[in-house]
Amino acid sequence: MKTIVVEHLARVEGHGGITVELEGDAVSDVRFDVFEGARLLEPLVRGKRYDEVSPAMSRICSICSVAHSLTSLKATENAFGVRISPQTELLRELLYRGESIESHALHLFLLALPDYLNYPSATALAADKPDIVLLGLRLKKLGNRIQETIGGRAIHPVNVVPGGFGKVPAVDQLLELRSALIEGMKDSDTVVDLMASLPAAEFCRGNTVYAALLSPNLDSYYAGDEVMIASNGDRSIIRAAEYRELTNEQSVPHSHARHSTFRGKPFMVGSLARITVKPRRPTGRLVVVRERLQLQAPVGNPMDNNKAQALELVRDMERALETIEQLLREGVKDERPVGVHPRAGTGTAITEAPRGLLIHSYTYDAEGRITSADVITPTALNAASMEMHFRRAVEQCAERDDAVLSKRLQMIARAYDPCISCSVHLVRRR
Amino acid sequence: MKPLLVIGLGNPLMGDDGVGCAVAGRLADDPRLPEEVEVVSGGCDLLRYAAQMEGRSRVMVLDAVYESAEPGCILVFEDPGAELDATQDHAHHLSAGQAIQLLQMTMPLRATLVGIGVSSAGFEPWLSPLMESRMPAILDRVLQELVWTSSM
Repeated sequence: MKTIVVEHLARVEGHGGITVELEGDAVSDVRFDVFEGARLLEPLVRGKRYDEVSPAMSRICSICSVAHSLTSLKATENAFGVRISPQTELLRELLYRGESIESHALHLFLLALPDYLNYPSATALAADKPDIVLLGLRLKKLGNRIQETIGGRAIHPVNVVPGGFGKVPAVDQLLELRSALIEGMKDSDTVVDLMASLPAAEFCRGNTVYAALLSPNLDSYYAGDEVMIASNGDRSIIRAAEYRELTNEQSVPHSHARHSTFRGKPFMVGSLARITVKPRRPTGRLVVVRERLQLQAPVGNPMDNNKAQALELVRDMERALETIEQLLREGVKDERPVGVHPRAGTGTAITEAPRGLLIHSYTYDAEGRITSADVITPTALNAASMEMHFRRAVEQCAERDDAVLSKRLQMIARAYDPCISCSVHLVRRR
Repeated sequence: MKPLLVIGLGNPLMGDDGVGCAVAGRLADDPRLPEEVEVVSGGCDLLRYAAQMEGRSRVMVLDAVYESAEPGCILVFEDPGAELDATQDHAHHLSAGQAIQLLQMTMPLRATLVGIGVSSAGFEPWLSPLMESRMPAILDRVLQELVWTSSM
């Protein structure tokens, strides 16, 4: 028997690695161990007041802190029957776009591209090709700026509160963001050209089930209360409150994350799922972008998630700009948060974090204190699908060279953009 | 020129990994903190603070450093990019050393990384009792470093 081990996808001691066992040429076992910080927080928020929950939940991840904050607020508001204003919904969507721009720029340019271009790290890539890294940093900064303006802080937003926003951004601030986005969009063509020029990375093919939020205008990250699952031409819809019909979580002995399957099959969430599941016809510049990236028909190659992120990066800048134009056109109202009146009940929210569906479900008592919480992250939802793709990649690779297989496994893991290493991040001396 | 900025990094959910954040939090409330110093208690991603770092004379980053020496020991890196491990084994973000190297491409950045030695990081939302017992000494050392760094 032969074992391939990819360690240190995360700096969690003893966790975050991939193990593939081979009996001859056949794959006998695949294990991907994910540590889940979210699970740690569930018992810690019990007994907390409704307005203390979102700030605590935002700590689950420093890359996806907006996603956790907003999904948490949405779940709390659903539990209490709070209806936010259209302006609040627009601003939350804008904030989410900022996080997506920031997260995709970080992932594509500083984490995924070094793999494609055969550099051991972003710093090594920067030494040879500084323009690529500077482009990534520029776009990341743009995303950060949106989050800081709308969320009130570079990380773990403080301006998002139950029922709305602590302070509505001023027109001047939105005008500044508009200028920054117009400037940022000048980089769109470079992003697409770069991603289209990457060496092919098709390590596996095969039927893949995809799941994404079904939002009213089909490309929201925040709005929407249903999930669509696409499997080989079949489509199913599940309401947020019935999310367990989607997840069907089961513990596995080798991972902290429970594995999710839909009708017995692993499913993939994230950018590729979003553009595959939602039947919205691309318009304008996005038609060309999609053609350039060759993202016309999904072939079950998880590496396409990187290209899908590039498409979203361009689209996010466009949508963020459109949202700001709409806010300015309609006039920014100095709204206070709508009243929140706690009551006993359960609220569930599903949104699209940069790396896929994020579920928060809370039960409150009559005083507005949380009695139970369930948080399911995109990385946990993807865990079974990742193992399926690791298995396929090894089975479909003619070579049995450890270094080749190990690199492919690592690239597939990164293509999923998993949130495993934010759990701990120690630096080490040389 | 904006004043010296101190950024505490770490994940408070991961035991001693969050020590940089914890030190920054306590530093901000410490009456001995020089007036001309600003303190931010952040998460794990130093790149998020690019905008705050621009135009600073100096930036000090507080972070956990995996170190076999005593937990709570202080290690000062004046050139963190060169002195710290820059291998790319994260799936989700860059290390502080890598982030400083990249940011130095975009701005004139003088950064000092004050590493706080930790020997393990567990799944718990508080510091280990040993690290907690060493916090007063760590704060004293960091304040001393701040005085030295400010005068450089």
